[in-house]
Amino acid sequence: MRWFERQLAAHLTRPDPDEAEPLEGADYVDGALRVMPMHLRVGILTESFAFGAGRLLLGRAGRRDATTADRVIARCRTSRIDVVRQYVRVFESLVLFAENELLPEAAA
Amino acid sequence: MTTLDTEALVIGSGAGGAVTAASLAAAGREVTVVEEGPAVDPDADAPFSLDEMVAKYRHRGLSAALGSPGIAYAEGRCVGGSTEINSGLYHRLPPELAEEWRVRYRIDEFTPAVLDRYAETIERDLSVSKLTGAPPPASAVLERGAAKLGWRAVEFPRVFRHDDGLHRDVKQTMARTLIPRAVDAGAQLLADSCVTRLVTRGGRVVEARGRRRHPGGRDEPLSIRAEHVFVCGGAIQTPALLQRSGVRHRIGGGLKLHPTIKIAARFPQRLNHDEVPMHRVTEFAPNLTIGGSASGRGHVALALADSTAEYADALADWERVTVYYAAIRSDGDGRVLAVPGIRSPIVTYRLTESDMSRLARGLVHLGEVLLAAGAQELYPSVVGGAVVRRVDELGTWWDSVTRSRTNLMTVHLTSTVRIGEERDLTGADSFGRVWGYENLRVNDASLLPDAPGVNPQAAIMAIASRNADQFLSAS
Repeated sequence: MRWFERQLAAHLTRPDPDEAEPLEGADYVDGALRVMPMHLRVGILTESFAFGAGRLLLGRAGRRDATTADRVIARCRTSRIDVVRQYVRVFESLVLFAENELLPEAAA
Repeated sequence: MTTLDTEALVIGSGAGGAVTAASLAAAGREVTVVEEGPAVDPDADAPFSLDEMVAKYRHRGLSAALGSPGIAYAEGRCVGGSTEINSGLYHRLPPELAEEWRVRYRIDEFTPAVLDRYAETIERDLSVSKLTGAPPPASAVLERGAAKLGWRAVEFPRVFRHDDGLHRDVKQTMARTLIPRAVDAGAQLLADSCVTRLVTRGGRVVEARGRRRHPGGRDEPLSIRAEHVFVCGGAIQTPALLQRSGVRHRIGGGLKLHPTIKIAARFPQRLNHDEVPMHRVTEFAPNLTIGGSASGRGHVALALADSTAEYADALADWERVTVYYAAIRSDGDGRVLAVPGIRSPIVTYRLTESDMSRLARGLVHLGEVLLAAGAQELYPSVVGGAVVRRVDELGTWWDSVTRSRTNLMTVHLTSTVRIGEERDLTGADSFGRVWGYENLRVNDASLLPDAPGVNPQAAIMAIASRNADQFLSAS
């Protein structure tokens, strides 16, 4: 996972990824991204770099906080542009599936 | 380098490849089965669990057909192929479909009577049967909801056999059944081995090239010379291999699938989550079928999140939530394209406006049956789709199912190398022999001329068995 992808994955489960403990299921998310079809991975990487650059710029402007990230993710999640919506959906799906399957009661 | 000579090379070990290998080996032919994925102990991982995704799914289940909207899909990648990861529901090819395909594509010896003969043998071999006791709660929900609405619902038989030692029903996947039978009859099985290209000369395949991974991770080149080659990698991998090998006539186009829309339904009572419901609402079949999905905690979380509604409360109550679906037969179609330099083929799918309308109708009907069965909250897999609690709220969904808001998936992929004597419409003859190649056959889901509207495993196995018989009698 790239820097922004790790931030996004962590943010989907915790409000402040900068201070969070290591993401539960991070290995699963990382592994899934590694083995996904190359053309899909390239598309996701392109978006990750674009969003990551945006986040850096916001940081330099002093406007980066958890609320901003929440708003951006919420907007992407409901975007009418399919690739933007699917970008967040991929990470959300991987994180949710891993986190929920790894809970002890899921296996009960 | 591993170099082998064999009489019949079978590439892929799923429903088509296992039938082919078992039939040929039983007839005394020298058979080598090559499977890209690993041999996995069928009992090692819980069905539909995270561990199973890692061990048995191609790309860990993270594949998608590009389009508007994109459609997520899953394929098995292990000995036994997708039979290791599907629900195990069994449905013979509807006779009217077989007849329609026979006429349209001019398929020889493709009458319902012929296919039924092969289906009967398969059903005996795999112990296809219905439950002996009452259906589990998540399945009974569909039966109860349909009964209240006066709709037809049926319990589908399954490829399960009761194991007295394990005290449970065990799915009869290819890794448990036909692959061991083929090996017992003398077939050689190479797991973790991938054929990447077929070398052709003068209308014949003269060599299969690829790579073989040894225990410990060492890779080495693989070269197999075979008198006959059967490509059985499924509707995505089969056309991709053929295209990479320069075989392109009617290969890869016309992909068909069952677009599927889901609802996470919350009930007042706890439901079972250990097996896929075996009841289906068939009131609108074959164009629209309603059924139940895998509903472990992870699956429930995914389905709830797909609605983008606030779902924390429902997820905390996940043992009362189960995932159901509406699957349609689609008028649209897609394409599989192997691009040089990219290992995985690019898959696209185009949904028509009538498909979108059918999906909206499917979602509303699914909501009706779940509310009739006592569901308290319905979360649709539609971005911004309202959480519904009463029948009169279902109307809001009609306008919600748009290309930019609908999250779709599928597990049934077919029709990328259709069979028949109509050369302009098909990639292979009536028995799967690829046009223009004397010793190259396809024998898997690719051959089905259309998506059948039900789980295609039964149709794939009956057709593959018929084709193997024809091969044995002709060669």
